[in-house]
Amino acid sequence: MTSETARAQVRPPFWRDVRILKVVIQAIFLVIIVTVGWLLWNNLIGNMRASGLPTGFDFLDRPAGFTIIDSDFRPAQTNLDAILVGVKNTILVSAVGIVLATVIGVLIGIARLSRNYLVRKSAAFYVESLRNVPVLLIIFFASLAIIGRALPQLENAWQVEGLFLISNRVIAVPWLASSGEATFPAVLPAVFLAIPAAALTYVWLRRRELRESVRRALLVAAPLAAFLLAGGAVLAFVGEPSQVSAAVTFWTSLLTVVTLAVRVAAWRTRLSDTTGRPHHRVLWALGTFVVLGAVVYVLLGAPLDLTGPRLEQRRISGGISMIQAYAALLVALTLYTASHIAEIVRGSIQAVPRGQTEAATALALSPTQRMRFVILPQAFRIMVPPLANQYLNLTKNTSLGVAIGFQELTTVTGTVIGNGNPASQSIAILMLIYLTFSLLISLVTNIINRRLQMAGRR
Amino acid sequence: MKSTRLLAVLAALVLVLAACEGDAQEDVTTTAADGATTTAADGATTTAGDGTTTAPGDGAADGESLLDEVTARGSLVCGVNDAVPGFGFVGDDGTFAGFDIEFCRVVAAAVLGDSEAVEFRVLTAAERFTALQTGEIDVLIRNTTFTATRDGTEGATFLTTTFYDGQGMMVRADSGFASIDDMANTDICVLQGTTTELNITTLSQARGLDMQNVTFEDNSALQAAFEAGQCDGWTSDRSQLAGVRSQFPEGPEALTILDEVISKEPLGPVSRDGDDDWSDAVNWAVIATIQAEEFGITSANIDDFMETDDPEIARFLGLPDPTEGTVFDPGLGLPTDFAQQVIRQVGNYAEIYERNVGEDGLGLERGFNALWTEGGILYPPPYR
Repeated sequence: MTSETARAQVRPPFWRDVRILKVVIQAIFLVIIVTVGWLLWNNLIGNMRASGLPTGFDFLDRPAGFTIIDSDFRPAQTNLDAILVGVKNTILVSAVGIVLATVIGVLIGIARLSRNYLVRKSAAFYVESLRNVPVLLIIFFASLAIIGRALPQLENAWQVEGLFLISNRVIAVPWLASSGEATFPAVLPAVFLAIPAAALTYVWLRRRELRESVRRALLVAAPLAAFLLAGGAVLAFVGEPSQVSAAVTFWTSLLTVVTLAVRVAAWRTRLSDTTGRPHHRVLWALGTFVVLGAVVYVLLGAPLDLTGPRLEQRRISGGISMIQAYAALLVALTLYTASHIAEIVRGSIQAVPRGQTEAATALALSPTQRMRFVILPQAFRIMVPPLANQYLNLTKNTSLGVAIGFQELTTVTGTVIGNGNPASQSIAILMLIYLTFSLLISLVTNIINRRLQMAGRR
Repeated sequence: MKSTRLLAVLAALVLVLAACEGDAQEDVTTTAADGATTTAADGATTTAGDGTTTAPGDGAADGESLLDEVTARGSLVCGVNDAVPGFGFVGDDGTFAGFDIEFCRVVAAAVLGDSEAVEFRVLTAAERFTALQTGEIDVLIRNTTFTATRDGTEGATFLTTTFYDGQGMMVRADSGFASIDDMANTDICVLQGTTTELNITTLSQARGLDMQNVTFEDNSALQAAFEAGQCDGWTSDRSQLAGVRSQFPEGPEALTILDEVISKEPLGPVSRDGDDDWSDAVNWAVIATIQAEEFGITSANIDDFMETDDPEIARFLGLPDPTEGTVFDPGLGLPTDFAQQVIRQVGNYAEIYERNVGEDGLGLERGFNALWTEGGILYPPPYR
């Protein structure tokens, strides 16, 4: 008997064979999960039918019957439209909140490591006091005290006519608004969206090894696809098949100008790497932006005007205004998340090995240069995953706006449910939308994380 | 070893599922075992054991009614409000008091014979119907307006109206608003998910007043905003506004309730669709209070009626008929002397009204809430 046949004959029986057991147990687990899920689902549908509750999603097409403050929403519009307004409000708070919280958080995080005693202690006080309080209480405090009582009532608002207005009901500042009724063919925004798509494809291709024929095909196909997609999107959202407002055209053209400015900065960096001369890429990018932006602005016939807020009969006209609930939620979430981000930033800076600081000092870099060129770039790499977590937290914390009556997604869904629409389906939609937000934020931060990672790390 | 760990996880899962089965109040998995199979089998959902679902339409034929379940449990779960003075609020000593609270006790006295056997669940306007639909509460007595949509899509059955109210508008006395038509371009504080919100929207549109609704989940946030001057008016049921005004920190004189009645708001107890036995029982318990007032029976003088010759009163109180000697049982599933329990332990409608929203409470006139014999519209159906 050879050793192979001996080994082959010593196979354990199937009920003791680890390889088979692994598969069998996972199969059993799957069956249990599916069965439990099916039982729960069946029970839900059965109970809803017994109580005479609708199990479909037809309620989304029913008229909502309520108004949403600070929007063009009419009560005759559908529940789905109401939920979309809620989504828009949530995005408004989340987007602005993420940007502000990051800026404030980074500044305070660096301040906590300052050599100045007062700066260091003030930053520590801010972080410790806000981090340890439940965010709902901060939201209440912002709404009741900061916005509600500290700011004056509308009759006594602090205002400079046409410049700004601050009251406990509304805060208004100047903003750009559509001027005139000029329209442009829908193909124009589509072109404006296709150009950045072409630029991004070019960048993406450059970093990959592909056959020459495939490269050329993609370089033609991508802008074309982007043009068609963008055109379709514009038509879907705007409706009118042939004419689009000057404002929409302007904002899409802004995207093109920004992309081109970024490409110019990248080009200057590459140039500097090969020739060794200073790149001045920020100045070049800004210059491109201003020049191209002005050209587009003039070409479109000055589509936007700067308007200031004016108070007429208790309503604000002109400019852009934020209502009390939005201001309170934004302030509360920004301050709270900034305190967490400050700690993350501080931790990331301290996680950069001390040898880096010493080497930078040995190379005669000033403290500012040291922070800017050596420490912070390495710290950014470390802090991206925890920052992503804080952004997700901020987005989900916007649902607490229901406590102060801010018409974001959760509040609107609650009103929809309270008006006689089925709760199970509404909450399911609510959770799916929050899941989408979270996945989007995770996607973007994962891309950034991968770009920043050191070569070889996966 | 990996398979050992997997087996341990499976065992834990089985234990958790078994633990869930033990909870009778709000378990989903046990009713799944019965409800799922019988739904598949014969289309009508019937449950064995302690299920909370009944066949649509006739609860008496098969399956259990909530009436049996509440009687077996020995206590009533009542969905209430805790922030409306006079109707449902928590007093200084931490106990629930109010018009609606007392009707919860009326139902408990009728069904269980003990008006104290009540568990109160505080609910917001947005979640009250969900709580009713899921069986978390047995009955909802929470200043809820009877509307067609709620009757239809919310799976709710509305019982006898206990309070005929109307929607009103409250403003600051020094605001200069004399009527709603003066309030163009104003911000109005209102509760989210209520009929008041829908009504004020409709009114604003119809009259072109361009009012904006500032909505809140509960009255405490709303009141804080109103006090800070973040809205110009507060709209709600007039009885609620009267209650708030009576307890306003700056004094009732600081506020004015405008005269205009914006809409009809008939308030009453609500039970779940599909359980006729329970709905009937609760309904007649409530009607008994109004009938008692019509007969002139109060908690103080009920003993005088124990030897009555009047066959109507004898039938109502569950006493043997003066001539026939039989005790009347209409087949509602309630004990024959439920009216006695209700009157003795809680009182008749007039007593409940005066204690909470009348002379000893908010000071509201009876108005529509008087008996039909006294100019109001309370008209109890005959108990025969």
